[in-house]
Amino acid sequence: MTPGALVDELRTIVGRQFVLIEKEDVVVYEQDGSILQAMPEIVVVPADSTEVSAVVRAAAKAGVPIVPRGSGTGLAGGAVPAEGGVVLSLARLDRILEIDLKNRVAVVEPGVINLEITKAIAKDGFFYAPDPSSQAACSVGGNIANNSGGPHTLAYGVTVNHILGVEVVLADGEIAWLGGRVPDTPGYDLTGVFVGSEGTMGIVTKAVVRLMRGRETVRTLLAVFEKPEAATRTVVDITAAGIIPAALEMMDQATIQAVEKGAPCGYPTDAAAVLLAEIEGVREHGERAMALIQSICRQNGAREVRLAQDDAERQLLWKGRKGAFGALGLIAPNYYVQDGVVPRGKLPEIMARVAEIAARYGLIIANVFHAGDGNLHPNILFDMRKPGELDQVIKAGEEILKACVAVGGSITGEHGIGLEKKAYIGLLFNEHDLEAMARVRRAFDGTGRFNPGKLFPTPMGCGEVRLSPGKIPQGLWI
Amino acid sequence: MKISPDALAAALARETGPDAVSADPALVDRHSVDRQVPKVLCQVFAAEEVGAVLRVCAEAGAAVLPWGGGTLMSLGNIPKRVDVVLKLDRLARLVEHDDANLTATAEAGITAAAFRNLLAERRQFLPVDPSRPTEATLGGIAAANINGPRRPLYGGMRDLVIGMKMVLATGEQVKAGGKVVKNVAGYDLAKLFIGSLGTLGVITELTFRVSPLPEVAASFVATGAPQRCLDFAKAISNSALLPSALVIAGPENNGDASRAVAWIEGFEEAVARHLRDLTAAAERAGLDPGVLRDAPHDSLWQELGGFGWGSNGILCRLTVPIETIETLVPQLTSESAPGRRAQYVCHYGTGVVWALMEPTTAGLELYGELAAVVRQYRGHSIIVSAPAALKQNLDVWGEPPTTLALMRRIKQQFDPDGILSPGRFVNRL
Repeated sequence: MTPGALVDELRTIVGRQFVLIEKEDVVVYEQDGSILQAMPEIVVVPADSTEVSAVVRAAAKAGVPIVPRGSGTGLAGGAVPAEGGVVLSLARLDRILEIDLKNRVAVVEPGVINLEITKAIAKDGFFYAPDPSSQAACSVGGNIANNSGGPHTLAYGVTVNHILGVEVVLADGEIAWLGGRVPDTPGYDLTGVFVGSEGTMGIVTKAVVRLMRGRETVRTLLAVFEKPEAATRTVVDITAAGIIPAALEMMDQATIQAVEKGAPCGYPTDAAAVLLAEIEGVREHGERAMALIQSICRQNGAREVRLAQDDAERQLLWKGRKGAFGALGLIAPNYYVQDGVVPRGKLPEIMARVAEIAARYGLIIANVFHAGDGNLHPNILFDMRKPGELDQVIKAGEEILKACVAVGGSITGEHGIGLEKKAYIGLLFNEHDLEAMARVRRAFDGTGRFNPGKLFPTPMGCGEVRLSPGKIPQGLWI
Repeated sequence: MKISPDALAAALARETGPDAVSADPALVDRHSVDRQVPKVLCQVFAAEEVGAVLRVCAEAGAAVLPWGGGTLMSLGNIPKRVDVVLKLDRLARLVEHDDANLTATAEAGITAAAFRNLLAERRQFLPVDPSRPTEATLGGIAAANINGPRRPLYGGMRDLVIGMKMVLATGEQVKAGGKVVKNVAGYDLAKLFIGSLGTLGVITELTFRVSPLPEVAASFVATGAPQRCLDFAKAISNSALLPSALVIAGPENNGDASRAVAWIEGFEEAVARHLRDLTAAAERAGLDPGVLRDAPHDSLWQELGGFGWGSNGILCRLTVPIETIETLVPQLTSESAPGRRAQYVCHYGTGVVWALMEPTTAGLELYGELAAVVRQYRGHSIIVSAPAALKQNLDVWGEPPTTLALMRRIKQQFDPDGILSPGRFVNRL
């Protein structure tokens, strides 16, 4: 099939205005939240699963790759069309199809924005637990592809723990339901292995998500430290005391200063680090756990501990955390965010190591991260215009990932491998491990046309991928 | 099989040592699965030996069934063939307990009780509550994906396992996941192996997220009419309370009563608050309240967690949307004809109903009716345990899944010669 014939067929399927091929139209799809870019050839925006299926069939007939795309807030280049083909946007599949509070499930389309689920059920006292920091912008389909986490996944788990079933379009265009409306459907846990497969197994067109009942109490505190290691030690001690907060977030001095410059919320700019801890549950649990956390903070030399007294104060404490990623843009033209994970006990050690790497490369690294589950987000600040600086940034990033793996950690906690980290997956998995994964992929998609060049350590494709810090999608924070 | 049982035993003995292999009739008989007697038993002591055993079996075309403690072997269809039972209960080391990270790694043959005792040394635990914990192995519980009553608060096996090592039919050792609680590097193959019942490979090591032991634990028990128990459970489920388990069990004393039971864990004052509110709710529902602690609390959950396993009846697991429990439970206990009545333990928070029926045609008929109700409400049901004679002509997993073709392709990718637990899985995969 010629490219022209494919475009014609796609236009017949979805309508002329939903097939984009002009440069000025497709350019907005060349990048996600990472620093990687590749110009799409064709972007198609179907309306429902039937159209998605027909698009997949047409692309199969033409023998071209299919790259699914949600909101484009991914941070690992997962939605970048590295090997050409059709970018398939799920943006129009944006309906919440069913909310069943009695059975604690909702059925949603993949283009639904994460936060919209909780917004739709909050009045009834329920919430959807996975809360990626970009939840006001990112889509449920993208969350499923990346098995996204967020601040509150410390207590409630990541996306896969909240997905009961998915309707997917497979490589041959078949529409299939994996899992269902209740757990443990007989047979292999296809939903479990599909979630986090980064668009390489199929395209989600519907999802059954679990809903949770809101907790009686939410208590939030901010603790201010003079030394970074006092903050990380506090995180370790909270866990050791047998307390699992709903969220436990850390920001270092570089981040605090950026926040206070951008969207001030009263963090002390001379502090080395602040911790944000949140407890949820019944009232009695909240009171005791908060008292314990306060005393652990003080034992570790916190110079100040602020316990929010009402919801407005809570929101203010969170405001800085939520604005942190955006604020970094005020102190450096560009930044590159890493996503390493370490066993929680290794936090003091790894943070010292990150500081040492930053010093050695002469780079500023601002840390704002999910400390409670050991998930680092070192933001390496730099200036793209300085020749050679991006190379240094990438080398420093690689050293951080290697340091995480060396202490028993992982190279990605919630952003995925995508294009960005596929060269590093060998740090964690040998050829046998990767071959076992490839077997599953072959079972789903024998042609390898779904999102090729991602996740597996294949060489970079045809050299079309460019590095550019470019535009950060609106609403993105990590 | 391409070679004689004697030649197979000899080949296995060359890999694992003569003491690890046995064809002693009394011993192999004790390792029958649905009355299928294995030809050879092979005990392994290290993961490397699992690879060697599978290579021998692959070459010989011998069917292999992994066996942990044997407590869950009644699950699954009657195997097509059982040539080798691969005993994993000596692969039982604790590899690492990283208490600061709230994770622990153990070889798959460790028993739930041994693991519990080791974790308790540093005041942590894994919330699985299997039948016969001194025999049930973690690898077996994962392979069978059997989940206990505390799943609503802590998650099930698929949520608790964060890393896994397995040996494939080729003898290759592979791993998935890791030892950090948040990790999205590569496909999560552990999910695929959990519940795969030994059909894709042999699980040799597991890493779990574990939890701190609570300060206080207690059971709240309320007894009365089944409908009142259901009303009570619904009220609790819609309240601010967070029991780790909420179960309805019945019938009691061959009568018409049921028990609603809640497992409460946490700080002392939070447990006290729960007991207070639960008592009030039980009184409102017209139930008779009581509280158990210490040994009676432990043995109550031993009984409820292990319900039905090892009995001679038909044990089935019905999984339904929570609301459907109200439809299902009355059907279990209304004795429409002699022998058509079930005992049950219902895990309210997850919509899982374990029902035990008489091992007769009447019992099987009742199961058929319940399965139809379950299907109607978009749930599913399986027979977990039944006499081999009754399993003969049915698929215990129910109707073939709509994604059977995909499952078949996965099986084909991992076990093209069909030597791993052939016939036991859905549609006799």
